[in-house]
Amino acid sequence: MGLGQLASRALLRSSRLTTATRTSHFLRTIVSTPELHNSEAAASQSQPEPDLPKRIPVGGARIHFPNPDDAIEVFVDGYPVKIPKGMTVLQACEIAGVDIPRFCYHSRLSIAGNCRMCLVEVEKSPKPVASCAMPALPGMKIKTDTPIAKKAREGVMEFLLMNHPLDCPICDQGGECDLQDQSMAFGSDRGRFTEMKRSVVDKNLGPLVKTVMTRCIQCTRCVRFATEVAGVQDLGMLGRGSGEEIGTYVERLMTSELSGNVIDICPVGALTSKPFAFKARNWELKGTESIDVTDAVGSNIRIDSRGPEVMRILPRLNEDINEEWISDKTRFFYDGLKRQRLNDPMIRGADGRFKTVSWRDAFAVVAEVMHQAKPEEIVGVAGKLSDAESMMALKDFLNKMGSNNIWCEGNGSNPNADLRSGYIMNTTISGLEKADVFLLVGTQPRVEAAMVNARIRKTVRATNATVGYIGPAADFNYDHQHLGTGPQTLIELAEGRLPFCSALSNAKNPVIIVGAGIFERKDKDAILSTVEAIAKNANAVRPDWNGLNMLLLNAAQAAALDLGLVPESDRSIESAKFLYLMGADDLNMEKVPDDAFVVYQGHHGDRSVYRANVIFPSSAFAEKEGTYANTEGCAQTTVPAVPTVGDARDDWKIIRAMSEVAGAQLPYDTLSAIRSRIRTVAPSLLHTDEREPATFSTSYLRPEIKEKMDMAPFEPAVENFYMTDAVTRASKIMAQCSALLMKK
Amino acid sequence: MASTLKYVRVPPNSANLEEARKRVFEFFKTACRSIPTIMDIYILDDVAKPSELRSTVASEIRKNAHVTDPKVIDMLLFKATEELSNIVEHAKQRHHIIGQYVVGRQGLTQDLGIKDQGNSNFLKNFYSGNYF
Repeated sequence: MGLGQLASRALLRSSRLTTATRTSHFLRTIVSTPELHNSEAAASQSQPEPDLPKRIPVGGARIHFPNPDDAIEVFVDGYPVKIPKGMTVLQACEIAGVDIPRFCYHSRLSIAGNCRMCLVEVEKSPKPVASCAMPALPGMKIKTDTPIAKKAREGVMEFLLMNHPLDCPICDQGGECDLQDQSMAFGSDRGRFTEMKRSVVDKNLGPLVKTVMTRCIQCTRCVRFATEVAGVQDLGMLGRGSGEEIGTYVERLMTSELSGNVIDICPVGALTSKPFAFKARNWELKGTESIDVTDAVGSNIRIDSRGPEVMRILPRLNEDINEEWISDKTRFFYDGLKRQRLNDPMIRGADGRFKTVSWRDAFAVVAEVMHQAKPEEIVGVAGKLSDAESMMALKDFLNKMGSNNIWCEGNGSNPNADLRSGYIMNTTISGLEKADVFLLVGTQPRVEAAMVNARIRKTVRATNATVGYIGPAADFNYDHQHLGTGPQTLIELAEGRLPFCSALSNAKNPVIIVGAGIFERKDKDAILSTVEAIAKNANAVRPDWNGLNMLLLNAAQAAALDLGLVPESDRSIESAKFLYLMGADDLNMEKVPDDAFVVYQGHHGDRSVYRANVIFPSSAFAEKEGTYANTEGCAQTTVPAVPTVGDARDDWKIIRAMSEVAGAQLPYDTLSAIRSRIRTVAPSLLHTDEREPATFSTSYLRPEIKEKMDMAPFEPAVENFYMTDAVTRASKIMAQCSALLMKK
Repeated sequence: MASTLKYVRVPPNSANLEEARKRVFEFFKTACRSIPTIMDIYILDDVAKPSELRSTVASEIRKNAHVTDPKVIDMLLFKATEELSNIVEHAKQRHHIIGQYVVGRQGLTQDLGIKDQGNSNFLKNFYSGNYF
């Protein structure tokens, strides 16, 4: 009562103030309305309470009414709120703007209801109800701030803290611990526990997750996450009562690629990040919102840094791409950013050793050699981690020097960059949830794009979708049918000889995902043509649904194909005299002739550096502002989180400076200028966070290829999940993971 | 011990630009006349030649050649006289003189580089650092 009347009085006072300032000082208008005349009539009318500040849904809650007639009304603390049928009391309170404390409830996991912290009082109920589990019935009156609810919370808090060790000073979760925050907000001021606390033995879950099981409050979030989202049944609850322990029943490590997410999920410090243990407190860290570049998914991350060092990487919410999860590689590869960094320009002397030189000298040498080479002998290769701006600059520069031999790693020798739908994931990652049949051709999404795999698993779990897989024997965390290992199976599918074909043709929304490993094969066009025939038979490409997708492997591939990094001839390396490598480490250096002059521009001294003649140090993704397009074609930008190392410069700046010294000056000087250049080539790269659906589909426009397919079975595109590019290969944590966690 | 300058009085304000100009040239002559004393006090024989010190003083004055307001010129002259008297009465030390008047920004070899001449602003900024 008190707060409402105070608020209304404040509102009236403020409205009176504003009217006073608006009118002039000389004339005072007398306002009179009919309601003011008959005061008795006004009093008898039930005046609704002047509206308190409008309740906004809290905790990121959004409502979606699938059936607008089906909305029920409940009352939360006297405030009426309309919710769709089937919501729980806790969700209704979130919509109404009331945040109910909870430990075991998580919006993306199934409901457990075992922490009892979410107890609220509901009228006509003999005891407080667990709001996370109780469905909201029409007309329910929910009260969250009554003495009963408060006493329930204090009691639950007291019980939880009874057996919880006094570890706050040494616990990594301090500062971001749910238990700390909720005990301050909802707990009582003192405890009454005087006996001995129990302790639990720690479990070894691997080199990534540090466990201190004494701190565990048995909320079972990690168990539910592992079984539902990650698909591995590694964790379970053993024992009963106060002797309950979370662990793996046998001594095994958590080998799932999503195992790092249990660190975020655990509300207390029981499961924490082992590489980050004891390194920093969360209030010392500056969070920068950026994008991950280890794979083509482009998961949204937050880079926490302290000074010049990246301390940890956390996921950011993005419903369309990675929800709230990131893969282990994304989470733990950051220590590779500190090892083996190139920080000075270097030239290889006559004795074969590298000597540090200044930028002027390095540019002068390269410009001289470049002018001696003929245009068709100049070759440029963009690496896996290159951003769109630097690839644009490289292409412009090499074109100005007369060469058209430039491509991006991973796109193969003859990429088909003409139709956009031929190289992106046309059903967007969030669109995969609507599919009912999946056909995976030559791709193992678990190691190539862990977030796409998580989405497929979510769909399979929710709607029992069928998954057919063609490729080498691989590990999947959902039920699938292994149809075959090579192009022979594709031919059979196209002709309709397999039982899976009927599943495909009966499907309402079929999805075909082709892996980008196919790009490296010689018979790629024939294979893609067969896949398009299968898509036509399954009616996968329609105006309202495009189910024919490519799953790319690198962060730079989609942007490279958008910008047109297509080489003139695929045999250009063997006859190259001048090779410009921009972070390209997966090139086969054997093919480079011995008298070729190789310039390596990158941030890590990885494989190609050993053949280089000149080294230009550039900045890594965490130090530059770059645009990356993910496998759906959605452009996102990274933001610099830490300063560049040593004398390194941004990629596109090096190319622009190089072009000036070489005499072919590029016409842009600033980031916005190079972005307007990109606008003339591929404007979709500048519309960040937007996906442009492809207008034309390849299945109806590409001519049918009559070539024979090579019957060699599909090869796995990613051999070692933990070591795929320069940064992950330099990381110690990734080395530990690949030694301990790879399934042999 | 060192001779204090006779002109260390607050001079009256110059009426116009010509008077300020005259004063500047008088200051320059005073400075050049005190150079042998300075070289003696701070033992600069091996480090600099008198002609170099003269050209340094001249370039310092020339840095403010664009100023047209007599009052501002007076203020600058006041500061210059103060600095000169500090130097002459040994209130500074050798490393101050060497660092401020003998050695330039780019080190002992003053390069008014021809190597950076034809470069654009972008390239000049690029050579100095990544953030521009």
